[in-house]
Formats: sequence, structure tokens, C-alpha cells
Amino acid sequence: MIDSGFDRRDFLKVLGWSGAAVALSGCGNTSIEDGKETVVSYVEANDYMIPGIGVYFNSTCAQCDAGCSINGRVREGRVLKLEGNPDSAINKGKLCALGQAGVQHHYNPDRVREPLLRNGSKGETITWEKAYALIAEKLSGVQGEEIAFLSGGVSGHLKALLGNYLESLGTKNHFVYEAVAPGVTRAANVKAYGVDMPRYRFDKAQVVLSFGADFLGSWVSPVHFSQQYAQFRKGVNGQRGVLIQVESKMTLTGANADRWLAVKPGTEGVLALGIINALGMATGDVAELVKGYDKARVSHETGVSPGQIDKIAALLKLRSPSLVLAGSAAEGYAHGSQNAAAINLLNQVLGNVGKTIEAPVSVPFPQMAPSKGNTAALKLLNDGLAAGKYKVLFNFAANPVFTAPGAFKFKDHLSKAGFKVAFAHYLDETALQADLVLPLDSALEDWGTQVPEYMTEGAQINIQQPLMERLHANTRGMGDILLNLIKQKKADEYKGFEDYYAYLRGAMLQNKGALGGGGTDDDTFWNTTLTQGIVKLAGTAGALSAHVGAAGLTLPAHAAADEQYPLHLIPGVTANLRDGRHTNQPWLQESPDPLTTIVWDSWVEVHPKKATELGIVEGDIVEVTSKTGSVKAQVYLFPGIHPEAISIPVGRGHDAMGRYARGYGVNPFQIMDAVFERETGELAMHETRVNIKKTGQRVLVVKDEGSAGALQMGRKIAARVSTDQVDLSKEV
Amino acid sequence: MSVSNLLENWSQVRHAHPVDDKPHDPYKWAMAIDLDACTGCNACSVACFAENNIPVVGKERFQHGQQMHWMRVERYWDEDGREFPDQGFQFLPMMCQHCEAAPCETVCPVAATNHTADGLNSQIYNRCIGSRYCSANCPFKVRYFNWYDYPTDEMVWPAEMTQQMNPDVSVRSKGVMEKCTFCVQRLSAAKVTAKGEGRIVREGEVQTACQQACPTGAISFGNLVNPESRVHKQWEAQQVDLVKDKQEKDESDEKAVLRGYRILEELRAYPSVMYLERVRESAV
Repeated sequence: MIDSGFDRRDFLKVLGWSGAAVALSGCGNTSIEDGKETVVSYVEANDYMIPGIGVYFNSTCAQCDAGCSINGRVREGRVLKLEGNPDSAINKGKLCALGQAGVQHHYNPDRVREPLLRNGSKGETITWEKAYALIAEKLSGVQGEEIAFLSGGVSGHLKALLGNYLESLGTKNHFVYEAVAPGVTRAANVKAYGVDMPRYRFDKAQVVLSFGADFLGSWVSPVHFSQQYAQFRKGVNGQRGVLIQVESKMTLTGANADRWLAVKPGTEGVLALGIINALGMATGDVAELVKGYDKARVSHETGVSPGQIDKIAALLKLRSPSLVLAGSAAEGYAHGSQNAAAINLLNQVLGNVGKTIEAPVSVPFPQMAPSKGNTAALKLLNDGLAAGKYKVLFNFAANPVFTAPGAFKFKDHLSKAGFKVAFAHYLDETALQADLVLPLDSALEDWGTQVPEYMTEGAQINIQQPLMERLHANTRGMGDILLNLIKQKKADEYKGFEDYYAYLRGAMLQNKGALGGGGTDDDTFWNTTLTQGIVKLAGTAGALSAHVGAAGLTLPAHAAADEQYPLHLIPGVTANLRDGRHTNQPWLQESPDPLTTIVWDSWVEVHPKKATELGIVEGDIVEVTSKTGSVKAQVYLFPGIHPEAISIPVGRGHDAMGRYARGYGVNPFQIMDAVFERETGELAMHETRVNIKKTGQRVLVVKDEGSAGALQMGRKIAARVSTDQVDLSKEV
Repeated sequence: MSVSNLLENWSQVRHAHPVDDKPHDPYKWAMAIDLDACTGCNACSVACFAENNIPVVGKERFQHGQQMHWMRVERYWDEDGREFPDQGFQFLPMMCQHCEAAPCETVCPVAATNHTADGLNSQIYNRCIGSRYCSANCPFKVRYFNWYDYPTDEMVWPAEMTQQMNPDVSVRSKGVMEKCTFCVQRLSAAKVTAKGEGRIVREGEVQTACQQACPTGAISFGNLVNPESRVHKQWEAQQVDLVKDKQEKDESDEKAVLRGYRILEELRAYPSVMYLERVRESAV
């Protein structure tokens, strides 16, 4: 890593251009050969440029919103590999599979390279000037309320700039939509703790009881949680932390549990109240509430044996503090808020608040804090589109045509918007519906700042900086595009900023004092910031509300099974594919699903018992039908699922997005019913009921496990020992 | 080395460690993997793809068993017929075990795979003729064969993606066997640096790609003959001796067991990777 200050832009020019010569000479056409760029010879290169030696630069991973800091290895002007930045409190030098694959986002052969304007069913290449002029033309005379902007989670200076742009357009219609987000849990947390995402201390807990929170795989900040989990497992003086996972479909976290409990879908809250009852520690209205939840009833409703409930209660009493979590499995029902409230109540009864659940710190710049949203926001937009309210629609970092539940009929409603602009890296399903597609720089080419939703020790602002020159001459950074658009409205105010880089630098320098750079000159501050890739701030820690109460908590009676659609459909959210935005990265396609070892395809998880009942074997193609629609996929017999449920992973089933995504698997979003969580209005993702029918076809499941399946055939291959047989206190 | 020279000096080339006259000095690279920390997340596997120019073969070739992941995460569950795997799954990161007496080495007709002085099981691509005997003889099934010329395959490495390739690692062509090298390119670079400074590689100075990525720090890697190294301390504390095929601790009657073990140790391949058993709580 380079520690000394230097002019980064000069550096990139040198590195990028000469690198481009090396990189592109193999492809047969370079702008250097055409005389449009200059080759800077290594003879004149700066001291830190040595051919054959990698140089490392810090930036921020953009594969998800956790905000892990990355350290990119750059050689001869090309970024080769991403490592975690050891100085980040979030990921401490580590990086997950999704993050590693970030280079395949950057080098993806199916990126959009030119602005495209719809001409019938085709996209015609146009210039940026023409694209900007077209947007100005379409916006002229349009009222603010007729404009809508849909985006994924945004934070940092981009969020501020976007806010300013929307203000200049006179619109308040910013819809923030993340298909897979803990929307209900956030709302329940506000009620229980006063904040939407407290800081969880796995490292301080002796027992973690998780109701479907896949914190090792896809939940909130998995790399950070994984590190804390490692500490939790090591424990203190050989007293190893115990993980109990309650869910109807096993997640990666569930696969790592000491005890994995398959509850009947939707009864997570009942079990939580049952445990409170068994603990016998509650007083007042809480005691009153749980009185009815005796072991016999809870066991009957959830399917967890009374003996198991006793064991859990005994362990929670014995080993304190513990940590209880509500995750997507608990919140995915129409009574998701109530489930989450019951689970949070268990935390309060156990006295964990303040011990393993701490107040989070936040960045002292609220305008940069991440904007969050879930499917309720999309529903609002969808209703507006259906009513034909919008004349101009912008879309950035969201792919609702792929991720909206089928019952929304989003694609049909989208066509009613007058003029649709998509800012896109790839031609995904939503970009294909747009009238104008504007190609974006990759996350490894662009400037930016990012504020993570989940902070750890102290607050931090993450810096995103280019690790190399643009691969494609005509892509642009989102910040640059917004700046150009805002200049259409407020030319005078923004004329001082030549580009987004200048805006970013200016904005950071303006707050130099607050960002810890007081007393240093501008260049030193800026170069230090870029070198470190992180601005660490003291942050302001809020306080958690200590409110304990059972007011308003009622769990619905267990619903009778639907005769026509007897099974619950549980959408599987995997660590690598998430909501499907990275499915076109081949490393992720070929990286086996950890639980089933399946690659390059979707599958339907069916419990072996249920499969026997239905006469289904592995590889059978079944038709999964809901009220909304049906999909066909191969069956995998999987013991980690409740017999009353089946699961299909989300993320695959693209019919766009390029060669590595299109045509592999099915998209379960398409058959999701529009059932909403009662209090928050978010989509209840686990509420869709289905039936399955054999189609008579059968395929060989393409998977990594061998012919022995999951069995070790009596050999000591992956061995296991129980805690009473082993002394961990003397381990290194 | 010509083939005749090779055959004349066979005992040197086919040098199976451990032997008393040739102790590992100053390096013996080895690994320890804590299965209780491993969550099965696959970060190691993808990091290995990124570091080592491993081709993505695609669905059809994967179905034919032609996948190339040097580092794979195996997954097992209980076989005792209970309704649910209620103690979770067993994950096992599996890569070349760099056996001291590697069964793959003895069967190579051209000595393309052999042992290095620092205890690696090396693969010389230029010498490999693709007999695949080594793969057939590997008890761990960690050797991968190039059935196709992947670097020229548009689906595997389109022009854009070739720019990501690590220039420190050879790109393998059709007909060549390959496998985990313990990131030998990183080891070589660290050794050269250390040599230039007149010392040996320090503990922590070099990491394998899988180790560096692993979010829970389940993988430790280092120089087994360096008493300061974490790997040395772990092997010692677990009483796993590299040169034994039956560990003394396994014979003893002590109640509390140590977690360290090597897979298929009874085959007398003397693997350089020690695993630490996954632990499960007995109280729930």
C-alpha cells in the first residue's frame, strides 16, 4: 500500500493509460493505436509503478450494502483481485464470496457500453449529449408529482445529490426498494428498542437463539457477524457459545447451529412466548400474556417437543447474557410484526438489552445516512403506475421487473409510465423495459462515498474510488450523470463542479474538521482519506429504550391448511445470489449452494418424508402452483425443511442480464402472492401457499455432492465431537 | 532434467518426506482448519478462483464431473435416519492435502508431480502429459483435469474477463492436470523477499488466498517447523505428528479428546492439513 501522499488523478492517468495498452493489445483494437490516447512509458513512470509488482488501493465493496472495505490489487493498470481492508472495523481484512466476485461485475462481458434509446424493440446507440437533451425535453412541462424515481438503497454524497436533484424537479416521489430487506424487523426493533437496527454483540453472548436470522449468510452484515461468530464460538475459558436456530427452512446459519429446530411455518412467535413461559422470569402484563402458552399448547402448535423447550429455557437461564434475533423467517408472515415483537420480548425478559444489544452509533451527517425501503415502497409505486400517474420514471439499482411479486403485475403497469429512464450496468429485465438506458461505470471505476446501515465500533464513511480506468469509454458514474442532470435545472449553483469527483472532494473538504481532518491542509487530508479508504468518526451513540411490555401483542390462531394449496412456499435467500442482481457473475453461478451443493440452476427443496408421500424422487421436474402462477423446477430431497413447506431459492430465473444469467433456473418471485404484513404493509414473503405436481419429466441434478450424497459412509471425514467430550480451554 | 537423468536420480526426485536425513529446513508449509469455525460459506472457494485463474466450466461440464474448484466445501449430514438434521450440517473445506508421501506422486509416469523441499506437492504443468493416473490415485479427489482448452473458450474467458487473470499464475491448457498449490506464487514471492533480507519468512507474512478471505478465520497456514507459527502451535497442542500414521493420543484412554485429526490418516499418505473437529453442544 502506498502511504505517501500523491496526486491520485495523475496516478490514474499514468497507470490507466499504460495499463490499457497492456490490457487491450491482446484484443486487437485500442484507442492508443488510433492515436486517441497516449502511452506513458514506464521510463517516466512514478516511483511506485514497477512492472510486475502489484499496487494495492482501498475502496468499498458494492456487491451488497454491508459496506465492507476492500483492498484491490492493481497490476499494470488492471484490477486483479479484491481483498478485505484490515483497517475496517466492519470486515477486518475479510471478504465473502460475493465480494470476491466483484471483479466479475467490473469485467463482465455483458455490461451496457453505450447510451441506448428505444426504437421499437431495439436499442439504438445515441450520444450522451442527445441522451441528456432527451431527458430535459421529456421533463419539460411535466409536474413534479408526475415524476417518480425508483432506487435501491443509496447513501453518502450520492444520496444527498439525488435528493437535491429530486428537489429541483419538484418531486417527492423517491421510492427506495430493496427486494430482500429486514423491513418488518426494523419496524419491530423501533418499537422494542427505539432504534431500527441496534448493534448486536455476538461476541459477548453465551447463547444465540436465532429465529430465522441468517446472519452468517445473507442478513444485514454477514462478514462482520461471521467474525463475531468465530469469537462467540471460541468463548471465554473454553466456554463455547451455543447457537440455536429456529426456522422452517434451514439457512446457512441453521446448518451451523448446535440445535436446529424445524418449526411449523409462521409459529416462531408462539415458540418465543412459550420459552418466556417456560423461563418463569416474566412479571406483570408479560406474565399475563404468556400464561396461556404452556408447553403442551406450544409444542402442539410449533412441533417442537416439550423436552426441547425445557432444555432451551434451562440453557438460557444458566448462560447469560444471551442474544435473541428475529430474522426473515419470523417476519415473512402477515403477522410478522407480532412474531418479531414476541421474539424481542424474549430478549427483554432475559435482560439482554444493554448487554448483547447495544445502541448503534450513527454518522453525524443524517443527510448521508442510508435510505432504506422494502416492498411497501414498490407497492406504492406500482399502484401509481397502474393508475397512470407517472409521465417520467427513473430507475437506479433496482430490478423490480425481476423481483416484484408476480401478483403485482409490475411489468404491465410499468408500460403505463410515459418515459422510462434506466441507469444500468447490464440490460436486466427492468432496463429492457426502459425507453432510455444510460450505462453506468462499474463499482471499481466510479467515485463515491458509502455509509453502512450497520456500524460497528464507531461510525465510518466508506470511500469508493476507481481502481482502474474505465473499461468502456462511454460509461459514466452515477454521480456524474446526476450532476449533469441537476445542472439542467440549477446551472448556477453547480457550475463550480466540473464533475462528481470535484463535487465529492469539495464536499469532503468543506467538512474537513468534522471528518477528523482539522489542522491538515486540503491535499494531505484528501490523499490520506483516499489512501485509507475509510473516514472513521466518533459517531453519536443513541440510547436504547428500556420499554418492556406486551401491549398490543397478539398472535393469530394457527390457520387451517388450505386444501387446494397445502404447502408454504419459502423463498430461499442465499448468501451468493441474494435478490439476483449478481447472478451474471459466473464464479457465483458455479459456486455450489452450501446446503444442496447445486450449481447453475434452481431447485425445489422437499422433505424426504413429503416426497415419499407424493411419490417424488430427486430430479423430478415438478410444477409449483400458487394463486398467482406456476413455475417448473427440479426437486432436491432436503431434510432441512419442514414437511409442510417447500423452498425455491431466489436470484435465478433471469430472462435477461447476459450470457451467465439468462435461462438458468426459475424465478419464484413470479409466483408470489400479494399478501402483506399487517402493520408495516411490507410483502409477507413466506405467505404464499402452493401445491406441487409431478410433470413426468426427470433430470440429473447438477450438483457437487457425489453419489454417496450427504453420507460419510462411516468414515471419519468431517468429524464432530460433543462439548462434554472435549476441553477447549487449552486450545491455541 | 532429462528423463534419463530423472530415472537415474529417482530416489532424489521421488523424495517422500518425512525422512531423517532430510529434515524440513527451513520451511514446511502446512495448514490447520477449524471445522467449528467454518460456516461453509464458500468465500475460500471463490477467492481461490480469483487468485489462481481457475476456469468456470459451466453447467453441462459440471454435470460431467469436470468442475475445477481447487478448493471445495464438502457438506455432510447425519446418517442416523432422524427426521431433521437437528444438529446442523458438517462442512469440510477440501483441497490438496499436500501429502508427505503422496500417492499421486509415485504413479506419475513423467514425474510431473513431485515433492518440493519445503513440503509442497507440486505440479509441473509443462511436464504433464495428461495420463490422469495421479487423479485416479488421489484418495481426496482434489486433482482437476483440463478436458478443454479453457483459455480460448469464449464462454469461460471472454476477452474482458481475461484481464482479471493473475499474471503470477500460469494459465493451464487442455490435457493438463492441476490442483491446489497452497498459493505457491505467494510463497515464492515471500521467500524471495525474505532471502533478500537474509532471513526466513516470518509468521503472518504470507497468507493463502483462502485463508485471507475466510470470514471466521477458520484456516491457519504457515511454516510448521517454525515454533513461533500458529500452525506449529496448533499441531503441537492437538498432538498431531506429521510423520505418524497413527497418533499416540488416539491410543490413550483419556476422556477429554483433542479435536485435531487428519483425514484418511490410515492410508499413510501423511497429509499436511490438520482438521479440528466440529463441536456440538451437549446441553441442548
